[in-house]
Amino acid sequence: MGWLDYVWMGVLAVFQGPELINLMGLPIPVTLAMIAAGFLLGIAVGATPGLAGPMAMAIALPILISVFGFSPDALLPVFGFLIGIMKGATIGGAVPAILFNTPGTPDAYMTTLDGYPMTQAGQARKALRVAHFSSASGDTFSDIVLILCAPFLAVLVERYLDLPEKTALLILSLAFIAAVIGGSVGKGLISLGLGLLAAYVGTGEDFYPRLSMGTQTLAQGFPIAAVVLGVLIIGEVFKSLEDLWSEARNRRSPRPPITQSGDQRLRWTDIRRLLPFVARSAVIGTAIGALPGIGSTLAATLGYTTGNTRHARSGARPRFGEGAPEGIAATEAANSSVSGANLIPVLSLGIPGNAAAVFLILAADTIGGFNPGPSVFRFTGDVVNPELVIAFGLFTCMMIANLLNWTIGGAFMRSMGFMSRIPKQILLPVVLLLTLTSIYVQETRMAAIWFAIGFGVLGYLMRRLGMSPLPFVIAFILGAKLEETARQAFAATGGDPFFLVSSPIAALFMVLTVGVILRSTRKSKDLPT
Amino acid sequence: MKSILKAAIAAIGLTAMTTGAMAADWTPPGPIKLMIAFRAGGGADTQARLIAEDLEAKLGWKFIPEQVTGKGGMNLAMAIKDQPNDGSVIGMVVTETLGYNMMVANAGVTPDDFTAITTTAGFQMGIVSTAEKGWTSFADMIADAKKSPLRFGVMSPKLADIAYLLGEAQGVDFNIVSVKGGKAVMNGVTAGDMDLGFMAGIQGKGVAAGDLVNLASALSVPLKQTPEAPTLADLGVEFSADGYFLFIGPGGMPTEARDALAAAIGEAISTDGMKSNGMITKAFGGPALIAGDDAQALVSGDYAAAGALLEAASQ
Repeated sequence: MGWLDYVWMGVLAVFQGPELINLMGLPIPVTLAMIAAGFLLGIAVGATPGLAGPMAMAIALPILISVFGFSPDALLPVFGFLIGIMKGATIGGAVPAILFNTPGTPDAYMTTLDGYPMTQAGQARKALRVAHFSSASGDTFSDIVLILCAPFLAVLVERYLDLPEKTALLILSLAFIAAVIGGSVGKGLISLGLGLLAAYVGTGEDFYPRLSMGTQTLAQGFPIAAVVLGVLIIGEVFKSLEDLWSEARNRRSPRPPITQSGDQRLRWTDIRRLLPFVARSAVIGTAIGALPGIGSTLAATLGYTTGNTRHARSGARPRFGEGAPEGIAATEAANSSVSGANLIPVLSLGIPGNAAAVFLILAADTIGGFNPGPSVFRFTGDVVNPELVIAFGLFTCMMIANLLNWTIGGAFMRSMGFMSRIPKQILLPVVLLLTLTSIYVQETRMAAIWFAIGFGVLGYLMRRLGMSPLPFVIAFILGAKLEETARQAFAATGGDPFFLVSSPIAALFMVLTVGVILRSTRKSKDLPT
Repeated sequence: MKSILKAAIAAIGLTAMTTGAMAADWTPPGPIKLMIAFRAGGGADTQARLIAEDLEAKLGWKFIPEQVTGKGGMNLAMAIKDQPNDGSVIGMVVTETLGYNMMVANAGVTPDDFTAITTTAGFQMGIVSTAEKGWTSFADMIADAKKSPLRFGVMSPKLADIAYLLGEAQGVDFNIVSVKGGKAVMNGVTAGDMDLGFMAGIQGKGVAAGDLVNLASALSVPLKQTPEAPTLADLGVEFSADGYFLFIGPGGMPTEARDALAAAIGEAISTDGMKSNGMITKAFGGPALIAGDDAQALVSGDYAAAGALLEAASQ
């Protein structure tokens, strides 16, 4: 079994999987249909201010699992749908940013700076075309980097890292995430600690359930869907409801309609002019995406600033912030190229770096048969490694989604302008109900709903205190893995209490961990924000 | 005492299938809640779900599967204990749950608080390493273990005890690494994080392909796939990892409900062409049915024997 065989089997797993319908003798594989459905839904979701890709992924996941079941056959259709949403939402976010000056997703904020001035100048459709072209380019570039890097990184990890090193690497990743997400390393560490605390309720090696306070309800631990959806989605809904309430008190007057005119097409000369900006931002976005936890908003900011410096030096007009297509290109290419690269730590280490990756790991965990991490990329001799086939199937799904993005994505995206007129007072309760329903679908016990609401309140409070909930969620997901790996490392070294520092690589990781935290504390003291 | 029990079980296991027709009149009072003590998507979970699917197709009974995982099945046991015992709630665990695990958990319950319905399949538990290690026999491995401690992957505390006793009997030290599930042992052994480990049937394909080696049988009998590998008794350990997948219900389930469930499950998994039969034959070497009172006697015996293993391992 060479690696080419695996690539081919992955492609076949997508195209020869169970078929959805037979269209005049042409079987339509269910995975393909799910990618397309997820992609279109993702664009719509991204184009709706107040909704974001991870929200749709969260709500869709339990429903998808109840439809497709827990067999390994379910993996690719579910992944396909989730990846479709992830990619769709990335380009969809630019629509309201350009048309209405409201970013559809947080990372599209920089797009408003040049997108909306272009709309005001009557160039809305052209601005949307620029956004789509740059977003699709960045995304595709990032996926190619993922496909080329993840297998090699995974093989390296598997070959050179033993159990103590893996434990140290997990600790380093968690510390890094706590340090870089949100404004303050202290808040990041609190968020992280709370996540680990929640992960350790009811779990562990002993037959006696720990931290359960004697109740049977806690003995099984917190249901993962209730925690993740509670903190990420319900918390966000609570916060948005509050924002809505305060917004209602200072309502703005509706904007006058703007007439669109001039050449709306994206010409070859435009593309040539934009290409350097797209390329620079794609590299920035990919590099940032490959580090867990930093996220697309910072990538967008960096991409925009770098583009701005270059653009200002060349002295071209219009300048950034006055309706320059280059500004849209620099932002959209950067924030879109995060998504593919973000899967590098997921697939090679099993460490999720952002909310979208969290839901992909959650899907894999719940369905079973695919454990994201270095063991996926084992190129076995005679026996087929089914996980590797799934991994290449996943890459195939991403490439199909990119193809859809290049072909129908642009037109569909430009038709989504109306989504931002959906009133939030209707949208938010619908999201809340859908979230609770989908949690119940997966957990089928009422306690899960109460847990979800409880964690929703926690998520709300964290947002109110300016504490990012993402370290909480990532720590919750990695908590069990961290404990298991640490216990195994301890046992495997024959009970060496200093296993984290007794090998050079593990010791290096631990030094880096301390370094990351110390550096971030120094930095936050320097910048009194 | 133990060998008599084993002989009795073996004999009765063969005749268990004939009890089928006795309670055919019983039908469940409503949908049956099926609790599963295994992670979704694994071999054991698939087995439970396929059995439910077969019974739905064959008898028109309705099942609602639910994962109640953790603590070696003890979470499921504690959850099912106070459910209605009219056959509307059943759960799938391993015999080890009501045996060793229940004894160690010391949670105030004994196997008598549960109704054992029927076993479905036995483990083909082997002590396995990769072929790359170059060991062709158990003795080769022990020779290496004498030079430096080897890492031994296990997936339950009972197996950790057995691994410890095996090391003691052979005069070597194992670094016993405990992981979740046989799949994790296999991944660890293949990746080189562990040198050898227990695998309960999952190793079949790899052994057939020559990538993995069954060094020994962890059962009281030789492995079906590698009959020449020594058993634990041959290696000086008087305990074994014999075990079965087991359907249980809350204590005091009426006999007709218990027997009807056992008969229905038994028939589904031993009928050619049924999905569960195909799966069990492929993964666990065919069905192994011990039903009703015999199943109850089996787990009571395991529970009683757990004390001896604990004592031996803590010396």
